[in-house]
Amino acid sequence: MIEIEALTKVYGPARAPAVDEVSLYVPRGSVFGFLGPNGAGKTTTIKMLAGLITPDSGRVRLGGYDVARQRSAAMAQFGAVLEGSRNVYWSLSAWQNLMYFGRLKGLRKAQVAERAEDLLTDLGLWERRDDKVGGFSRGMQQKVAIAAALIAGPPIVLLDEPTLGLDVEATRTVKNWIVEQARELGTTILLTTHQLDVAQELCDRVAVMRQGRLVADLPTRELLARFRERDRYEIRVEGAAPPGFDAVARDGVTTISVRVSDPIEVYEVVERLRAHGAVIESLTQVQPGLEDVFVSLLNEPSHAA
Amino acid sequence: MLRDVLRAEIGKGLRIQLAHPAGHVITLLISTMMYLGLQFVLGQGALREDLLPQTLVAIGGYWFLQYAGLVMVADLIEDKRAGTFAQSQLTTAPPWLPMLGRLISASVFGLAVATVAALVPMLVAGIAIPLRWAALLPAALLGVNVLAFTFLLASLALVSPVIGALQSLFTALVLLLNGSFLPLALYPDWLAVLARVLPTTLGTEALTQTLFEGRTVGELWNGGTLPWLLAHTLALTACAGLLFARNHRRALESS
Repeated sequence: MIEIEALTKVYGPARAPAVDEVSLYVPRGSVFGFLGPNGAGKTTTIKMLAGLITPDSGRVRLGGYDVARQRSAAMAQFGAVLEGSRNVYWSLSAWQNLMYFGRLKGLRKAQVAERAEDLLTDLGLWERRDDKVGGFSRGMQQKVAIAAALIAGPPIVLLDEPTLGLDVEATRTVKNWIVEQARELGTTILLTTHQLDVAQELCDRVAVMRQGRLVADLPTRELLARFRERDRYEIRVEGAAPPGFDAVARDGVTTISVRVSDPIEVYEVVERLRAHGAVIESLTQVQPGLEDVFVSLLNEPSHAA
Repeated sequence: MLRDVLRAEIGKGLRIQLAHPAGHVITLLISTMMYLGLQFVLGQGALREDLLPQTLVAIGGYWFLQYAGLVMVADLIEDKRAGTFAQSQLTTAPPWLPMLGRLISASVFGLAVATVAALVPMLVAGIAIPLRWAALLPAALLGVNVLAFTFLLASLALVSPVIGALQSLFTALVLLLNGSFLPLALYPDWLAVLARVLPTTLGTEALTQTLFEGRTVGELWNGGTLPWLLAHTLALTACAGLLFARNHRRALESS
């Protein structure tokens, strides 16, 4: 589990807070999405979790160990893939990288070798284990970085933009792997991403940061439900839409968007459509995506978490 | 556990350096040619046999310092640029331990170049260097002196954008003044004092006194060379440690 209490980091002579009193709790075995626009403070928070940046105030505990006071024990609790960096040595082979990063976490050579074989096999890299990582595709390099983060079998994994720049297949591999780690092995995963479809698909819970502060921290379903647009409906009808309706036609099916002030008005719209002879295929309340929620949160003047 | 981390760091450093052997081969070639070329020019077309043994010890010290420093600083800069520096710090070991591992792997390459740079002229020009037990302590202290200076450079390299220029400046001064051109005894007094402030000079002086003048460790101590060498090495180590403590955190925050 990850516990963050009132974490704050300020930069520069203006003492502008990059992270401002952020508190979070991520339970064991969950996938936690940490979202926000560029400069929101996500990477600074991740680096404070990893002990790379010292917070000005607040506390971080990883697996119950305080990162500042029990550094060595806390370091054994997690692996990390950091954003905007190579994460692994390109002039070393995949095998050499895993052996190095495993032993850096204090594991013995034999322990690391066994685990490295499993990971490289799982990620489809076993045949190329002795090739230099510099010659790998971006997706393969990212797989090696993820394997390096996992080599010591940490209970927590921090992933800063794990699917950035990956093609569809590599993204799918990484997503499947994240789900497997959390669901089957009970690994706690905290990830940041700008790919909101990825977050919506993977995360049990998401937090949204804006200007260093948390503006939301809810289970994904609850967050989506909270932003469900209760006044918008979509009605699918066969053929063309009757005049006077806002409609989009595709493949012989027309989708009519309706905005009402009271749900009872939907029945009136249905009656009007029927009166025009329209055959109604379906009627659904519009469900927002995480992207819609994200945009709404960022555009609001303030929003309580 | 700490031993595993140290071994991993040394192994990684050696593998990364050996992944690009061309640079090391070129340095070896330069190191073997440069000394004899310099002495030939200084001797106005001849090698002065009376000066060769002492200056050869000094050039060995210079190459150890020059190449260990170069490997260490280049490795750190590349690591920081690539982003692997931050990853290498996510260890259960204290932060100084990976740095010690880097220092040891860099020193292997420095020592290799220094050895070749000394051995080839010995074979080519028939330079004889007597081996004495008393020289072991000064030689070891010379090595520690070089490593302390390399650690100092590395601590600067963590944050300084001009570390390349600083390193060139220091190594050029060492080459000019540590006795690689002329033995220290031939310098004017004021220049000898200045030269002794630089790394390797006191170590070279102590080593040549035992090798060529037959002095014992006790005589080196009473003569002041050994205490000064010890103090110089301790001062360098202390400065490097303080700089590392100050710069390490800043380096992580900017990585």
